[in-house]
Amino acid sequence: MSDQNKAGVTGGADTRNLRTGTFSSIMNTAGVYGMAVLFLLLGVLLQATGVIGNFLSAQNMLNIVDAAALVGIVAVGMAFVTYSGNFADMSAPTTMAVTGYICIALLRYGFAVAIIGALAVGLIIGLLNGFVVGRFKANPIIWTLAVNYMTMGVIRLVWVNKQIYPDMEGSRPVAVALFDSVYRLRFFNLIGLPLVILLVLVVIGQFVLTRTSFGVKLKMTGSSLRAAKLSGIAVERAIVVSFILAAFTATVAGLAVTSLARVGAWYNGAGYDFKAVTAIVIGGMTLAGGRGTILGVLGGSLIIAIINNIMTLIGINTFSQDMVRGAIFIAVVGINALSLRRMGRDDA
Amino acid sequence: MRRTGRNSLLVLGDKYRIYILLVVVFAFMSLFAPRFFTIPNFTAILNAIALNATAAIGFTVVMICGQLDLSIGSVITFSGVLTLGLQPVLGFAGAIAMAVAGGIIVGLFNGVLVAKAKINSFIVTLGTMTILRGAVYQFSGGNSISVSNDQAFAISDFLGKNLLPLVTPRILIMLVLVVVLELVLRRTRAGRNFYMVGGNRNTAWLAGINTDRSLIVAFVLSGVMAAIAGIVSVLVSTSATLNLGENSLMYVISATIIGGTAMSGGKGGVARSIVAIVSLEMLYTGIILFGLGNEVKIFCAGLILAYVVLYEAYAVYRHEKTLGQRPELMKELAERASAAKVKKSIPS
Repeated sequence: MSDQNKAGVTGGADTRNLRTGTFSSIMNTAGVYGMAVLFLLLGVLLQATGVIGNFLSAQNMLNIVDAAALVGIVAVGMAFVTYSGNFADMSAPTTMAVTGYICIALLRYGFAVAIIGALAVGLIIGLLNGFVVGRFKANPIIWTLAVNYMTMGVIRLVWVNKQIYPDMEGSRPVAVALFDSVYRLRFFNLIGLPLVILLVLVVIGQFVLTRTSFGVKLKMTGSSLRAAKLSGIAVERAIVVSFILAAFTATVAGLAVTSLARVGAWYNGAGYDFKAVTAIVIGGMTLAGGRGTILGVLGGSLIIAIINNIMTLIGINTFSQDMVRGAIFIAVVGINALSLRRMGRDDA
Repeated sequence: MRRTGRNSLLVLGDKYRIYILLVVVFAFMSLFAPRFFTIPNFTAILNAIALNATAAIGFTVVMICGQLDLSIGSVITFSGVLTLGLQPVLGFAGAIAMAVAGGIIVGLFNGVLVAKAKINSFIVTLGTMTILRGAVYQFSGGNSISVSNDQAFAISDFLGKNLLPLVTPRILIMLVLVVVLELVLRRTRAGRNFYMVGGNRNTAWLAGINTDRSLIVAFVLSGVMAAIAGIVSVLVSTSATLNLGENSLMYVISATIIGGTAMSGGKGGVARSIVAIVSLEMLYTGIILFGLGNEVKIFCAGLILAYVVLYEAYAVYRHEKTLGQRPELMKELAERASAAKVKKSIPS
């Protein structure tokens, strides 16, 4: 309290009261992890009553963590877009698919070239999204949906609905072997590479969001675009960077999905857009922008993975699970909107 | 409203651009596309239009209110699957009633959440879209549903029968809905209220309009129209595939914006959206007739949507950039300054 007052009195360049302190952010996100534990308990309860089998087995826990890792990677990047007040990047699915295609197609020139090529394409998509949304203030959802359709068109145009495989003729065997095995890497036979990537991204993301000037600028941009602009923040640049980050993590996840499935297909990223947005809102990040933490998003991804796992064990198929996901999404957004209105912000 | 006088030709071009587009596309395709100017082709185009145009009616009303309904594609599929799925149990009348009721409920759900809970419309409808997608899979088990009894074929024959050359009951249903909605929008108080709410929700509220009711009615209209589109479509084809409404959202959004309905709301009309749908459908059919294939068609559709969204955003961007600038005044000041300079230079 006194600390905050001091910051207010000294004023000026002191941005301490804008930052979310590590401790308070942990306290805020504790609720998310509490919810994750509750869902775990629900799983245990269902197993105890015999509705589902082997929920608590080591293999199943590993499955949950692996699924959470893929959703989480997409969500961590997209969280920056949400934080900047631009809701979501709906072009994530085809970004994932197209970068997978590009990577496999470039495997003939070597592993490094393939990865760099895929990342370059991802960055171009992010740049395009960020530029149009940042500069012209196009509706982010509609624009990224349009980009999603357009990228899907490119995939259909170039690869004519065909799936492509890493071990095509012309690919370098070493590169193919590397591409096949890299995402299957497990440290200590337990922790998969996607999880490690996710944890690294979360640490970096949390640091960037709370401890760098970019994070503070993004918070202001997301909280009030006009105020941020009038106070001299380069809001366009902040939004462009956030979309590039989203495209970057979508590319990383896309390569993971492609590598794990050993196939480049147009449906590779299908559903990840909505899963990621749901993880973000469950993680306590409000769609109005400027609120939330990356640690919370990690918790949200875990919850999504646990819920999906339980539903799969019960025997609800993947597509029907959309019903539950959509309902949870609307419920969480509704609750967020209500609590924000109590705080005096009339939108969500 | 719009300023006239200066750039009147441009303004005129802007006002009638949709009709110019229609004539240009029609003339171009008739001259160059093989087999375009034939009765079977026109019939095919009209049938393709009927689905998207019916859905576009409600979508346009929602957009006039300044909101978006991303769930129309899912509602089309949902109502189609519901109609044919429930038909063996309830008969055609009952099944159709249930499907229409489904559309109403979805619209009501969207509308109440947008108007009362004040959640962003595209966030809410993104959720409903996902829920419905799941519901469709849950209901149909992932397979398309088809009926093959005499009654179904009789209905299909009736809806596809030529009353006049090119005019089938299916087209008539669409036309009647368009005319009725256009008249409601232009001539009734409820219709004008949609424009007021879209133009400025606060002003509309202060002027004594029940803004919440207008919004809810708009979303219900959107749901019902999408449901009717789906129902009529499956009744004609006697089978409901799960990708029935897959691309409708893309076509309808681009057509509505091309038709001059502003994404920010308060401007536009139903008939104009339909003209845009006709133009786009002729363009896509032309692409197929040129032998370019479905891939090019989908790619073009995505490209057009992206272009249209970008154009719309750019127009708003330009408008806001020049907001408050008065070119006449600046010119006058410059003239005065130069005149003063001349006056000063004479005595010396």
